[in-house]
Amino acid sequence: MTASPRALRALVLLACFYLVILVVLGALVGTDVAAWIWAPPPVAIKVTLVSALLGFPVVRGVFALGASTWDEREALPVTETEQPELWGTVRSLAERSGTRPPDEILLTGEVNAAVSEDARLLGLLPGRRRLYLGVPLLSGLSEPQLHSVIAHELGHYGNADTRFSGITRRGRDCVLRTVAAFQEQERKRIGKERSRQEKANAKRRRMGKKAKGVDTGRTGLRYRLMAKPFQAYARFYLRVTSGVGRQQELAADRMAIRVAGRDATASALREIAALDAAHDFYQSRYALLGIEAGLLPPRGEVFGGLRHLLADPRCRSTLAELRGELPAEEESPYDSHPPVAERVRLIEAQPDDGRGTGPQRPALALLRDAERVLMQLEDVLLTPEALAMERAEWPELAHRAMHARATAAAGSLRTALAAAGIAAGSASGALAALLDSADAGRLWLVAGHLPKSSEAAQATGRAAREFLRPALEAGTYGLAELALVERAGAYWELSWSEQVRLRLPGTAYTGDTQEAPEVEEALTAAVRAATADTPDTTPLRTLLAH
Amino acid sequence: MSGKILPFVIVTVMLCFWLRSKRLAKRAERLAAEIGADLLPPERQNTDRAYPDPEAEAVLAALSQGDWQPAAQALTATGTDWERRSYLVGVIARRAADDDTWLRAWQAARPDDPDAAVVHADAKVSLAWQIRGGAWAKDTSAEQFAGFHRVLKEAREDFDRATSLAHPDDPTPYVLQIPLYMGLSAPHEALHQLWAEVTARAPYHYQAHWRALQYWSAKWCGSADLARNFAAQAAATAPRGSLLTMFPLVSWYAHNDDEAPDEAYGWPEMMALTEAALADVAAARPDHPRAAEVRHLLAYCLTKQGRHEAALEQFRLVDGYVEAVPWRYYDNPAEAYCRVRDVALKGAAASRLAG
Repeated sequence: MTASPRALRALVLLACFYLVILVVLGALVGTDVAAWIWAPPPVAIKVTLVSALLGFPVVRGVFALGASTWDEREALPVTETEQPELWGTVRSLAERSGTRPPDEILLTGEVNAAVSEDARLLGLLPGRRRLYLGVPLLSGLSEPQLHSVIAHELGHYGNADTRFSGITRRGRDCVLRTVAAFQEQERKRIGKERSRQEKANAKRRRMGKKAKGVDTGRTGLRYRLMAKPFQAYARFYLRVTSGVGRQQELAADRMAIRVAGRDATASALREIAALDAAHDFYQSRYALLGIEAGLLPPRGEVFGGLRHLLADPRCRSTLAELRGELPAEEESPYDSHPPVAERVRLIEAQPDDGRGTGPQRPALALLRDAERVLMQLEDVLLTPEALAMERAEWPELAHRAMHARATAAAGSLRTALAAAGIAAGSASGALAALLDSADAGRLWLVAGHLPKSSEAAQATGRAAREFLRPALEAGTYGLAELALVERAGAYWELSWSEQVRLRLPGTAYTGDTQEAPEVEEALTAAVRAATADTPDTTPLRTLLAH
Repeated sequence: MSGKILPFVIVTVMLCFWLRSKRLAKRAERLAAEIGADLLPPERQNTDRAYPDPEAEAVLAALSQGDWQPAAQALTATGTDWERRSYLVGVIARRAADDDTWLRAWQAARPDDPDAAVVHADAKVSLAWQIRGGAWAKDTSAEQFAGFHRVLKEAREDFDRATSLAHPDDPTPYVLQIPLYMGLSAPHEALHQLWAEVTARAPYHYQAHWRALQYWSAKWCGSADLARNFAAQAAATAPRGSLLTMFPLVSWYAHNDDEAPDEAYGWPEMMALTEAALADVAAARPDHPRAAEVRHLLAYCLTKQGRHEAALEQFRLVDGYVEAVPWRYYDNPAEAYCRVRDVALKGAAASRLAG
């Protein structure tokens, strides 16, 4: 039982932290009492105020202790009757790891898996165990890889880590929170000092000399001094406990190797690093593509759509590259995890156990009725506003989302055209009017009606034009896109291989390596020419006559 | 008895001294007004130039009418006077940064004119700085930075064209590119390469050193140490009359003037630097386009050192034109200039009376 001395150490360290706090608070109270006994009342009042100000962050940091934010996050619990295969797998893995299975399994939307335990009596008594599984992991990992991930998490149970890490983690939370409370006070002080110096600078400016930079180096000193013992202790504590955390991770990796095999464990770690990037990309480029237009993909696709991206050949080759080169994370002495690259290196240095990584079922096959689960997950994880949004099939979603973006981009230019007295109903009409203005040398008169920042409003001559140029180009580009949709039946096409692109009818992307003719590149160049200092509207007119 | 007289005597003596000092001060003031009678008040100081430059004025007057021919002629006339050439390109380019209609006409008439090309590129640099404004980075908006970087990147292409059109011996397009490296935070290695191109063509170019010193300063891409070393090396290797001995003072002013006490200017090493610069400017050719700028900063340093007569001598040589360091760092350069000049004037009058 190697965990006991570790737990003991964590307990002692936490106790010491409380001791430091008690000593500091005791000293503050002692000063107050002494002041009230021996000093005149005005001094005593001042001393009390100062000590209250100093003691406040300490008390706040300590009493925020307890409620772990871990269990408050949203996740979808799945019961054994709903998901017998998943539960069966977890149970058998727990058995092979020699530990008690979790009491709950919860699905999340993150590329992550985790365990927690509501340990009681500062972590000395066992409590309710929960296994959190990210659905993107199920979409992206093979079955043996998922086994390895779960075995790793169960490995934390195996050597009584979760029970005792309760102490470690709670101690960490408490220490960090106290230090953070101090830093907040210090920031407020510095903010005040900054505004004071800025006022002084304004005065300096009135006297004729240009302002100095604002330096707040000496402010917040009192707080920094006060925070010093806590920060020093925090550094010490975090360093010691992170060592414990690292050992726990490596021990859990060894458990995963024993249960799921060396190659599955190493490849799972590589896969998760790549999957993390793919998931971020999917979220921003696909799932949330229509969010500004109030659109979401069909039910179940918000978290499930990642599968389409992972199935795409071009995306697969990118992911293969990502798997090959693990990110070189900067190692922090406070991080409880060893760098992934380091873990993979250690795992791959183990002798071959002959289990390999043959072609395997995807882990999502473990879920019974996966489509329904993905829908339920949305109900739990999405905000009410998001749940109320309209759903659209992917191709429609892409077109409508991009159309809304183009409309928004063209909006202020249309307003500017109207303000310049050039009324036009349709986008193509507005664009034609804009190009006529450019040919007549009145382009910048129109652009002058675009919204301006205060710096842009003060600028004159060429500088004023340069301030407006990005908005003018973006607006013209949006108008041109809308005009192509109106007049030439252009549409935006979603592809899992590349970004959403505007297509003209008959030039659809065929999915092979042959590049389709690019409307967008031509459009960018034509817009630039039309808005140049010596405007040339011919390329854009030619494109629109398409 | 004597106990009652003593305070009376003391008060009388003090009164005498006070009256005497008042009279002296009044005489000094009268004398200062006398010897400074030819010096101009703030409202008559020209804040566009550091010295009178009729040729530049004529060129700018023609440009206001949209006539680019005099500008083209003036640039051709500079020949291999690289100091004058880069100076004049700067004057013309600043005008093009406001309105470049005439420049486009010039380029249309002479498509591959190297002079128009370098003016075009340098105008982009001025334009970029206009967009950025002169505030500290934290007070500059994201929009300003985006425009600044976008226009500087355009300028890079324009300079590529300018260098390909320029005479191979002409350092101008290389000298004027230095702010680009500064604004885009180019790595030190890149600046060294550019610097080799500059010094191969003009080893002691004043404006090139001025700009490189800005790059090496703590405010941009270097540090106080790097700037000091650069300035010291330039001063140590330059021939007399090149004015490069000024740069240790410039670097010191840029990094320390705000913080250091006035006495710092009187420290022996500062006195030595000032002496060297005085000798340098005395040896410079009379029409060196940067001599006036040097005199302005020297006048400031000499005043701070209490060498009022010497300061006054420099002030007299440049009075009337104040577009120079240190005055340009003040909101009202003409007033800042006159304030310091009057200190020198009163100081000089007082010491003449005492002497």
